[in-house]
Amino acid sequence: MTYHIPWIVFLLPLFSFIIISFILRPFLNYRPKLGGYVTIGAIGAACALSFWLLVEVLSAPGHKLEIPDIQWLLIGDLSIHIGLMVDALTAVMLIVVTIVSLTVQIYSQGYMHGDPGYHRYYAFMSLFTACMLGLVMADNLVFLYLFWEGVGLCSYLLIGFWFHRPAAADAAKKAFIVTRLGDFGFLAAILFLFYKTGTFDIGELHGLAIAGTLTGTTLTWVAIGIFAGAVGKSAQFPLHVWLPDAMEGPTPVSALIHAATMVAAGVFLVARFFPLFENSEMALTSVAVIGGFTAIFAATMGLVMTDIKRVLAYSTISQLGYMMLGLGAGGIAIGIFHLFNHAFFKALLFLGAGSVNHSTGTFDMREMGGLRKAMPWTYATFLIASLSIAGIWPLSGFWSKDEILVSSFANNPILFYLAMITVFMTAFYMFRAVFLTFGGEYRGGASSEHGSHGAHQLHESPKVMVIPLVVLAALSIFSGWLNVTGRFDEFLGHGEVHSFTQGFFGILTHPLPWISLILAGSGILLAYAMYSAKWLSAEAIGKAFSPFYALFSRKYWFDELYERVIVGRVLVDGLFAGCGFFDSRGVDGAVNGVADGTAAAGRALRQAQSGQLQVYAMAIAVGIVAIMVCFYLFG
Amino acid sequence: MFDIVFWILAAVTVGAALAVVFLRDVFRAALCLVFLFFTIAGIYITLHADFLAVVQVLIYVGAISILIIVAIMLTREVWRGSPSGRLRIPALVVGLLLLGMLMFTAMSTKWHISDVPPQEPTTTAIGAGLFGDGGFLLPVEIAAVLLLAAVLGAIVLIREK
Amino acid sequence: MIVSELHLMTPELSLLGFALVVILLDLFIKQKKVLAGVSIAGLIVSAGFTLAMWGAPTIDIFYAMLAVDRFALFFKFLLLAAAGLIILASQDYVSKFERFQGEYYALVLISAVGMMLLTAAADLISIYVALELSGISLYVLASFLKDQKSTEAGLKYLLLGAVASAVLLYGMALVFGLTGKTCLLCIADVVETMPIAGLLDNPALLLGIILLAAGFGFKIACVPFQMWVPDVYEGAPTPITAYLSVASKAAGFAVIVRVFFVALGAPSWLSIDWGILFAILSAITMTLGNVVAIVQTNIKRMLGYSSIAQAGYLMVGLATVGVAVGADALGRSGLLFFLMSYAVTNLGAFIAVIAISNKIDSDLIGDYTGMGKRAPLLAVALTLCLVSLIGLPPTAGLIAKIYIFNAAVHHGLLWLVIVAVINSCISAYYYLRVVKVMWLGAPVSEEKVPSSWALRASLSLCCLGVLLLGVIPGSFVGMAEAAVRIFGS
Repeated sequence: MTYHIPWIVFLLPLFSFIIISFILRPFLNYRPKLGGYVTIGAIGAACALSFWLLVEVLSAPGHKLEIPDIQWLLIGDLSIHIGLMVDALTAVMLIVVTIVSLTVQIYSQGYMHGDPGYHRYYAFMSLFTACMLGLVMADNLVFLYLFWEGVGLCSYLLIGFWFHRPAAADAAKKAFIVTRLGDFGFLAAILFLFYKTGTFDIGELHGLAIAGTLTGTTLTWVAIGIFAGAVGKSAQFPLHVWLPDAMEGPTPVSALIHAATMVAAGVFLVARFFPLFENSEMALTSVAVIGGFTAIFAATMGLVMTDIKRVLAYSTISQLGYMMLGLGAGGIAIGIFHLFNHAFFKALLFLGAGSVNHSTGTFDMREMGGLRKAMPWTYATFLIASLSIAGIWPLSGFWSKDEILVSSFANNPILFYLAMITVFMTAFYMFRAVFLTFGGEYRGGASSEHGSHGAHQLHESPKVMVIPLVVLAALSIFSGWLNVTGRFDEFLGHGEVHSFTQGFFGILTHPLPWISLILAGSGILLAYAMYSAKWLSAEAIGKAFSPFYALFSRKYWFDELYERVIVGRVLVDGLFAGCGFFDSRGVDGAVNGVADGTAAAGRALRQAQSGQLQVYAMAIAVGIVAIMVCFYLFG
Repeated sequence: MFDIVFWILAAVTVGAALAVVFLRDVFRAALCLVFLFFTIAGIYITLHADFLAVVQVLIYVGAISILIIVAIMLTREVWRGSPSGRLRIPALVVGLLLLGMLMFTAMSTKWHISDVPPQEPTTTAIGAGLFGDGGFLLPVEIAAVLLLAAVLGAIVLIREK
Repeated sequence: MIVSELHLMTPELSLLGFALVVILLDLFIKQKKVLAGVSIAGLIVSAGFTLAMWGAPTIDIFYAMLAVDRFALFFKFLLLAAAGLIILASQDYVSKFERFQGEYYALVLISAVGMMLLTAAADLISIYVALELSGISLYVLASFLKDQKSTEAGLKYLLLGAVASAVLLYGMALVFGLTGKTCLLCIADVVETMPIAGLLDNPALLLGIILLAAGFGFKIACVPFQMWVPDVYEGAPTPITAYLSVASKAAGFAVIVRVFFVALGAPSWLSIDWGILFAILSAITMTLGNVVAIVQTNIKRMLGYSSIAQAGYLMVGLATVGVAVGADALGRSGLLFFLMSYAVTNLGAFIAVIAISNKIDSDLIGDYTGMGKRAPLLAVALTLCLVSLIGLPPTAGLIAKIYIFNAAVHHGLLWLVIVAVINSCISAYYYLRVVKVMWLGAPVSEEKVPSSWALRASLSLCCLGVLLLGVIPGSFVGMAEAAVRIFGS
């Protein structure tokens, strides 16, 4: 029975997608809420079953469930299997994906209220969740790649949900194209692996890597190809540019993308193939270096953004960098533990931002302020999430970040120092956002656009939006405690277990946590000094560091580099023009020749179709005679 | 004796058939067709198929030729005859090839010739064959449904638009 | 004895009974929609009987005139489903002949009876009579609109059908003359023991086979017996076009498979010879169908040529005879699976065309511009069906092609598979052109395209079938395999 559950978990949201798009949307479009209920029901059930699976995996030998493959198609001796795998990594991912998705879906009932595309929204959200669940459970590369692209497609559809806004359509395209660049590497790695090993099965590939059959440069190139896919999906440097623009989608979509589905897929992919990385020193180092660099690189840009969602977006990139660093320097457990904690507080931050937007109608922090009084629940939960992401003891972010710092300290001191600086920056930009949004006096919201949007209209969001915030806030506090005893690490394969109190307070006897706490605290203090107490003038500091300010706020001119230089000069003027020349003269000539030839043949043959009955009857006679003659000539 | 009769009938049949094809006057062609049906009935008799010969006369000569002639009389501009197509030569070639092929097949195959004497009269045997044990009862019934479909079709096709 | 066998004919008898009820009710009932309901009920009852007989043992009834086996039952079910979908889809169309709906439905049912008998017929005589029964009904249905094009279509279909019947009868006569038998199993017994080693030594058998292939080839629209297809498809009422392209073709393939594999399958020199014949005709058919489809501007004609091309792919299954590695009946079960997939796909495409053309009153592909905005659901359905006709995932078409091509490779027909794959690429061009026009073209008006619930239901069923066959093909493959098990190995 147990082995049916993973399938049910995967199929529930898929059926929800099918029901919404083929039954509710065509026939019951006047009852928009139904779509939401179906989705919430399906994902809620999937969530409950995921917990069941987690319990099963905990008690299973080797923390791995044996799920028999399903024979999808048997034609003669051609047999195609499909299968799922559930191990510790999958079980954790299932929990993350279903919980975050569930809270986001509930929240969306409030946030998307009255949107004309309600059913479309929930259909895509269901499909998005289904793809992600399929991705984390796939036991072979073909299946995994299918869902990998499925996740990309859904994020394209959801980022461009309001496709009539040019910005949204552009952002969707950007996300799709930039992640595709990484996917080429992944696809090449898959094909290369199959060519070398003849198998798509992930378990077998792990075995080959561990046994040392798959080794040397082959392994390194494969691992780097896989990592390229992860860099695209997880928005790591230098393919990070799509994520901040992905804000154009509905905010709950951002929450889902940033927390549990799209970007988590990249980190998950590296974790899934960790045995391959583990056996290649170079690949592992690249993961750590790219991750560590991305962490600080994105954090610097987060310092100066004025759009609250952009601040959060850069913080996601930065935190994803931490996860990669954790994977590269520490191992699966450390990277995934941060992903686990980050999912909850980042979902919370985005949903909080959405809640703020629901009230003020803007995402620009310069137009907010003073929301603490009007929106106490949003404020409280947002504050908890900010403390958590800043890494304040004993909230969840502290525990996973500490592990990453410890492991990078042991492994690569330079990356450790970068990570430490990032801790300071993270605390600063998060609390800059908190103080700008909730502190001080209200600065008018989107009044410049919509006329008078006075302070009296500020309101707390409806319950359906607040409850998910509270649930996520609770998780942001406590999710980190799972590994206080080291159970989480042990579950994912390494580390030893110790008692809770020893872990909970004992950690404060080490110097490293204190340093990071002090750094985080000073980041918060600086933010307080600049944006709340106004001891320091933000403008003055901005002027003093104006070159840096420009550098950060223009995002290191990466968009310009990509759009103008690489796409504009190198591709359009150089490569494309060259290809175009070759294409129009060479390939086109050949293709047109063939196409014209075929069309001409079609026209000539059509002539025979004169409509004259006698011709048709004669064709039958000619056919018979011709066949008979051929038999005697060649038979 | 039968041989002589057969050859005469065969020659007349072919002649009538050629007349049907080559006569430009549709009405005369139809009359030649009636004649053709008759001679075929004659050929049946030489083959000891008396019942079939009678049915041939009843249905083809009696019913179908009347139908054809009535149809011709109801059609306007019938006297101008059938227009000659551009396909005469190719059709002739194909027709001759087909003929040659069929003749070659008929001549060069070692047919298995039954030595059972022909039954006389055939009516009983046909009746038993159609309705008796081991007979073709089902096709007869299907043919009945076919007639129903044909009647329905006729009703539909003669309706006013 | 015969009476006791009647219950094995319940699918046909019940359907015929319902056809008579429809004709009689037509006299008394003003609300013609009831007739459609009665017809659907008849099809469902008949399908129920068919399903109930699925597990029964194989038996020949009426002195070996009909075979009651899974092969026949499989096709009967397919035909009933096709007829049901056609009647549902006709709801938007029958207003064109308001007073004669009763006859329309009755003829559809009677032709279905004829085709069901055809798939079960195990004797040359019953095959011929059943063929004519389905033929006569279809000739009338093709000219049902009574406008110039429809009349022309009906007349052409009738005359060429008569020529094909004559050819078929000549072939049957030759086979009978050579063997002295009309029942397929008896013919098989004689042919198996023939003291000859090649077809060329026996011109009568050779010509008999060629004429049989030509006569049946007319039914399945195989080149060079396909000339009637575009004109008849264009002129006939669109639901009948769909019916012709799916049901009539399926019945044709059923009878070909039965005649050739049961009566003429046994000595391997024989089956290899006609296998080559079908392989070559298959290659020519798919190529001609696809190439000419490219230049079509009328969607019904395009689908007509596409159905010729699909017949070419289907004939690959007929060509898979002789020594094979692995399961031997792979080609035939592949053919059956392909027919299932083709039936739902092509019906879906035609039903979408019925709905769209009814509104815009044009069959020109160019007039479908912007349908993605005017009728998104219809456009999605049509796109899905066209994608399936190309053979792309996740649709039935892909599995069907993999299946039948795999069989061909096993039988050493790699060259045919290469031709077929090239043809699939060519076909993508004209199928996707319709998709492009629908989604990227600008709509000529903002007016929505309405459709009745019956049509939408039948279209949804087709799309569901396309996806089910494409995503979970397992049980359908099992059905096809069970159906061809009667041929032994």
